[in-house]
Amino acid sequence: MRIPIRSGQGNYISAAAFCLVVLLLPVWPPTSYGATDKPSPSSEELLKLGERMYREGILPSGEPMNAFVKGDLPVPGTAFTCASCHLRSGLGSIEGGVVTPPTNGPYLFKPFKGYSSPRYVNTPFLPPQLVKYNSQYYQKPHNRPVYTDESLANALRSGIDSAGRVMNDVMPRYLLEDDEMKLLVSYLKSLSSEFSPGVTDTTIRFATIVSDGVSPEERNAMLVPLENYIRNKNQADVHDPRMIRSNQVRSTGARSRLMAAVTMTSLGVANRKLSLSCWELKGAPETWRGQLEEYYRKEPVFAILGGITRGEWQPIHQFCEDNRIPNIFPITDFPVVSQDDWYTLYLSKGYYQEGEGAARFLNGKEDLKDKRIIQFVRDSREGRALSRGFLETWRGFGQKAPETITLKAGMKLTAKSLQRELAQKKPAAIILWDGPEALKTLEMVAVEKNRPSIILVSSTYLGKSMLSLNERVQKFTYLTYPYGISQTPEERAVQLATKEITSSSMGSKVFSMEANTDATIRISLQTQILTIILHSALLDMRGNYYRDNLLDVIGMDMDQDVPLYERLSFGPGQRYASKGCYIVQLAKTGLVKKSGWVIH
Amino acid sequence: MKKALTLIQLLAFIAVLLVGFSAGADDRKYRRTIENYSMPDVVLVNQNGAKVRFKELMQSKPVIVDFIFGTCTTICPILSVSFANLQQKLGSNSQKVQLVSISIDPENDTPKVLKEYLKRYRSKPGWDFLTGTRSDIDKVMYAFNAYIPNKMSHFPLTLIRSPGDGKWIRIFGLMGSAEFISECQKVGIL
Repeated sequence: MRIPIRSGQGNYISAAAFCLVVLLLPVWPPTSYGATDKPSPSSEELLKLGERMYREGILPSGEPMNAFVKGDLPVPGTAFTCASCHLRSGLGSIEGGVVTPPTNGPYLFKPFKGYSSPRYVNTPFLPPQLVKYNSQYYQKPHNRPVYTDESLANALRSGIDSAGRVMNDVMPRYLLEDDEMKLLVSYLKSLSSEFSPGVTDTTIRFATIVSDGVSPEERNAMLVPLENYIRNKNQADVHDPRMIRSNQVRSTGARSRLMAAVTMTSLGVANRKLSLSCWELKGAPETWRGQLEEYYRKEPVFAILGGITRGEWQPIHQFCEDNRIPNIFPITDFPVVSQDDWYTLYLSKGYYQEGEGAARFLNGKEDLKDKRIIQFVRDSREGRALSRGFLETWRGFGQKAPETITLKAGMKLTAKSLQRELAQKKPAAIILWDGPEALKTLEMVAVEKNRPSIILVSSTYLGKSMLSLNERVQKFTYLTYPYGISQTPEERAVQLATKEITSSSMGSKVFSMEANTDATIRISLQTQILTIILHSALLDMRGNYYRDNLLDVIGMDMDQDVPLYERLSFGPGQRYASKGCYIVQLAKTGLVKKSGWVIH
Repeated sequence: MKKALTLIQLLAFIAVLLVGFSAGADDRKYRRTIENYSMPDVVLVNQNGAKVRFKELMQSKPVIVDFIFGTCTTICPILSVSFANLQQKLGSNSQKVQLVSISIDPENDTPKVLKEYLKRYRSKPGWDFLTGTRSDIDKVMYAFNAYIPNKMSHFPLTLIRSPGDGKWIRIFGLMGSAEFISECQKVGIL
């Protein structure tokens, strides 16, 4: 069903009302950047001001831009930035049935004939059939002549495009002064105007990263699936005329057209080979930045795929951020946890996320309210990341930080010292962020009279040793487990008994606990996920090889059902695809869920 | 020849009728229906991290519901601006109407994300943004005949519970503020 759009007459009335509002507004205060004795800003600074307007909805004066949507809804530009709908790359989007056309220079300043040609494969839009199939409310962008600076300014202010048509009324009508408008228009002209480095007429160059210290098995677990993907893509005969013809079949059935549109190979990808270099990092992490810069200078790449190191990802994360290079799904348990950074897309927050899960689980336990909790933390990279995730989340709930006892590297917790802690403090729960060494501690706790009812440990930090938790300790040991768990027959039966088919009941995924505790298998699965997401992103980019577009396209991706994780979800600006973490107990039958995938 | 002409005329007449019908349908800005819904007994979590018994919340007072998510780029901000404008109009009586936004991205929408979202729209008491487990959110979506398997295929929907007879006004599509206020007035909310 198609939701209708405003009639032309209504729109003109709205536009007239809008103009009246503009006329009645008080005279705008002079902007700060051009009216003083300060030296004129450089062209780069002016572009930055335009970029801020586009991305954040902030005027050069520091005030938010003001706008109207739906004819009469006044909105702050900060809640309705240009980048919200047109996305950071300016290549546009379709969301909630609303089609947002591109607003980058190359598209604005040439006539738009997006839907008149069957060769829409290289437009940034979804094919019209798909739009129509998916949308309950959409307005297909019309053909229009090239914009001039004046007609573009008019479009931004009044919502009338260069063909004289009224745009969809979800497009904000911005209240901008002439000098502010000039900044925004200049920025739009520069936006996604040239392909990003690493793209030539024949090749899209990628790199991956391996540091020394990574075992040969782990290195291969990442490199082999990645190289296989690149090789298979390059060997695929995408120029096979039968294949192209099959995609252009003029079928009378809407569903057939939809299938053709969905499976159509992007001509941009078809015409280019992919290349993959492996950047080897040697020595201390402090020296990696120099090495990365040198690799990049010699061979600019479009994006970094995966990558694996021993330790923190921070040096590579910062390198990518500073050079605006996307890094898709590095294999790391130590990502940078940030709300604002843009260029690295992680599979999860790693150990930090397990700490988060533990805090959310304990916060929901009513019987632990105001009870004492003790946190034992191994002074290791793993222990610190787990503890940080726990403490930051725990404090976010307004909880007082628990007493933390640091276990220095090599230090063993003795039965005597543990006995003393338990007898004196009588904690209701213990968090034990330790590696395989934790097994001995759990054994010691099992025989204690003052044993707390819950001891939380990290399954990832325990690794394969979690499989050897014996029955005695299983009953009080809870594990953070950031991977998928197969449904029990009982769970499946309950789901099937309900008439409601939901995303979680459509299929039953099978996960292997043994495989998930094996780092090498996990890396291999994570790399497979990378190739799945990369492949669909390359097609969805539709020949628009701008780095921000790669991240925009993944951000607008549907949630994914993949191996290893219960669910991967995306969203504009979201940078950690797997967001859940089960709390489980080990039993004879396998893992028993003690929480949902996501705990609030 | 005459028969052929008649047939062509008939087809042309049907085509005109179809075009006219289609154009008429296009004049509507949104689709409005009256529905009866039965609420699921699930516990969700609001922006303050407090547990909320959904069924009770739906029965408390005049209620308006929408489905949104924190990082949505296009339609959720418009729905939320409508809520914000309504609250502004209600002024100090903002709590007389319970506004409820329900997350369709529970993985990402933690109470912290919900709180920051509401702050962006200068929400007042009386507007709750709820999250929960995916299965509970699914149940709520089903109850409103609004189920989507994936947040990226969502659509604009506003549900207004009439305080008089408890029926729900289902509005499919995006409204302007005057239209939204008018719908609220029709059921006596304003």
